[in-house]
Amino acid sequence: MDLLWQTAINAMYAASYMALIAVGLVMIFGVMGVINFAHGELYMVGAYCVVFLYAQEKFPFLLSVAAGLIFVGIVGLLMERTMFRPLRKNPLGGLIASIGFLLILQTLAVLGFGRRMGHVPPPTQGKIEIFGAILTYQRLFVIVAAILLLAALWAFLKRSKFGWALRACAQDAEAASLQGISMNQTARIAMFIGAALAGVAGALTAPLVSPSPYIGHSIIVTAFIIIIVGGIGSLEGAVIAAVLYAFVHTFVTTFFDGVIANIVGLALMFAVLVVRPTGLFGARERA
Amino acid sequence: MRKTLDRKLSRRKFLGTTAASGAALAATGTGLSRVSFAAADTIKIGFLAPFTGPVAAWGKPGYDGCLIWADWVNAKGGVKIGGKSHKIEFVGYDNEYDAGKARTGATKLIKEDGVKFIMMLGGDTWPGVEKIAAREGMLFSTLLPSDLSPDTKTLVAPCEVHPIYNVTGVEWLAENKKNLKTAAICAQDDALGKPSVATYLAAFEAAGIKMVDAPLFFDPATTDFAPVMTKLLAKKPDILCLDTCYADYVHPLCEQAFQQGYKGQIISCTADFYQKIVEKTSKDFMEGFVFQFPDFDDPALNAKEVNFVKPNEFYTEYAKRFGAKEWSAVSWEYASIMDLWADAAAKAGSAEPGPVLKAMKAGGTGKHAFGDAKWWGKELFGIDNALVGNWPVVVIEGGKAKIKAFKSIPAWWDKHSKLMIKHMTALGQMWNQR
Repeated sequence: MDLLWQTAINAMYAASYMALIAVGLVMIFGVMGVINFAHGELYMVGAYCVVFLYAQEKFPFLLSVAAGLIFVGIVGLLMERTMFRPLRKNPLGGLIASIGFLLILQTLAVLGFGRRMGHVPPPTQGKIEIFGAILTYQRLFVIVAAILLLAALWAFLKRSKFGWALRACAQDAEAASLQGISMNQTARIAMFIGAALAGVAGALTAPLVSPSPYIGHSIIVTAFIIIIVGGIGSLEGAVIAAVLYAFVHTFVTTFFDGVIANIVGLALMFAVLVVRPTGLFGARERA
Repeated sequence: MRKTLDRKLSRRKFLGTTAASGAALAATGTGLSRVSFAAADTIKIGFLAPFTGPVAAWGKPGYDGCLIWADWVNAKGGVKIGGKSHKIEFVGYDNEYDAGKARTGATKLIKEDGVKFIMMLGGDTWPGVEKIAAREGMLFSTLLPSDLSPDTKTLVAPCEVHPIYNVTGVEWLAENKKNLKTAAICAQDDALGKPSVATYLAAFEAAGIKMVDAPLFFDPATTDFAPVMTKLLAKKPDILCLDTCYADYVHPLCEQAFQQGYKGQIISCTADFYQKIVEKTSKDFMEGFVFQFPDFDDPALNAKEVNFVKPNEFYTEYAKRFGAKEWSAVSWEYASIMDLWADAAAKAGSAEPGPVLKAMKAGGTGKHAFGDAKWWGKELFGIDNALVGNWPVVVIEGGKAKIKAFKSIPAWWDKHSKLMIKHMTALGQMWNQR
């Protein structure tokens, strides 16, 4: 029983940070129509914000996480202005530009922090026991922060004028434009939010992983699987698929092994694509 | 929340371009600037190892060690070959631990740079180079003798007999902590992890220690090690074995073990940058951690049997140039291979790969860093191209690595070779199975 609880707790943690990353990726794709291949590197930059501010410069951990969120959001704005906006009519160009940007971010991380993993001392070593399973405060913090951030995003999209504008642009950019909604402004907001979510995921998890300039590779692969399973463009789908993927992957790792877990994760994606090609929550493409 | 955000790219395009772009990302290789001084009698040595990526800890620090080696040797006039002194220049190439990039690097080093010898980490990168080595007759070295086979006639493993030396750690543990009866093991699923798992399984069996579960293999792309550790600890093993996991995995695995309340014995092939693990866990948690790679400031390395030249001074110089916390398992290894190479080249009177190899293996023995050793490996690798002798067992005490013993690998092999072959065969790691 302890093992089941421990595995469930592990899965909840994995689901929470994966959801943040996947939702950010979906935001960017949904509003701007761009596949941001550098999204994993935005996660990496968020993690290195904590390496620099918290581990090296000794700023408080929470302040470093907040700085990571804002800084990566600003990097997102930079990407939107310099790459995605000029290439708005050429989504494939945007994708290729994002690959170039990915390499730039990796190289900057290598130049700034070296080639090897960054070291982040744990902000706390406290833990609680739940039905015999151990949950560290650090992991609990990631779970709670992810829930709060996603709830805030939901409220923003549902209740605010900017949120309506974002949804309108995502639904039909031309019609939204005719209603006086600025595409540039909504793209900026989407890019800031999408990048900031990846950044804050990296910042929150930095003490729990080994941040390295290349950590984005494995993150982006998982994020793509999740958004394909959830339905490309669906925010709800991304959250639900993150939870589904994290639970499947974590339970299979624990009760079989990690390699089989990856195979099962990919099989899950293929099964969803075969049964429901648009993903679990994806909408059918218009002709 | 709206259910679906619209797309400007079709789903099919998204899937197609995502896959294509992923493939395109694999197409970069990195030529590194050489350590250069344009002397007429300079011999170039290739260094083809990962300088970046998760395996970088077993490439870059070795290159740094070579820079010290070259500076020391060149300051004395270089290597004397055929009555003439030659300075040594290292030409590095970052293969990112990728076979394709290793192939490109080997071609460049041989064809463009004209190197006389190439040092590699080996493992997953060796298959990319094997045909070039055979075709060009170039002398290569690997840290991973599991790359050896009867076909790899110009490949030697003259320093690290990975993973065979891991038996010494288990043997020492069994002799000194007799209360430990069970173990659990995990490893990344790759050419480095699997033969090491087979070795540990053989060593545990030889020591009478039972495995509580089948080995747990995880994907090298794993970033969250909580599920891995949960599974490992589920059956409450006395010993947690971290196999030959990369530093990027050993650290989070240890942290997870600490967080999930493990209080037992840990054994691992490496514990690179262990000070950081101590920082992330505690001195108490890491007390007694057994691994195989000493810090070279250890006074035990001054024993007369040890052949490595000035180990303590080497460590001091390394720490001065690159920082003590940058010291890794391989910091000294490539430099020790260069000692062997220089010795063989001097004996051969030539830097050409063929004569050097012949001189290196002459008499079937050689001066390994940790003592005199013999060329061995026929039964396990199909060729006697691994130099094997004693290997240190290192234990963390009070937050610092200390050599506890030098143990003989051939002595273990003489008693338990059948067990090793059994487990290597079971995991498909014998030379004729790979």
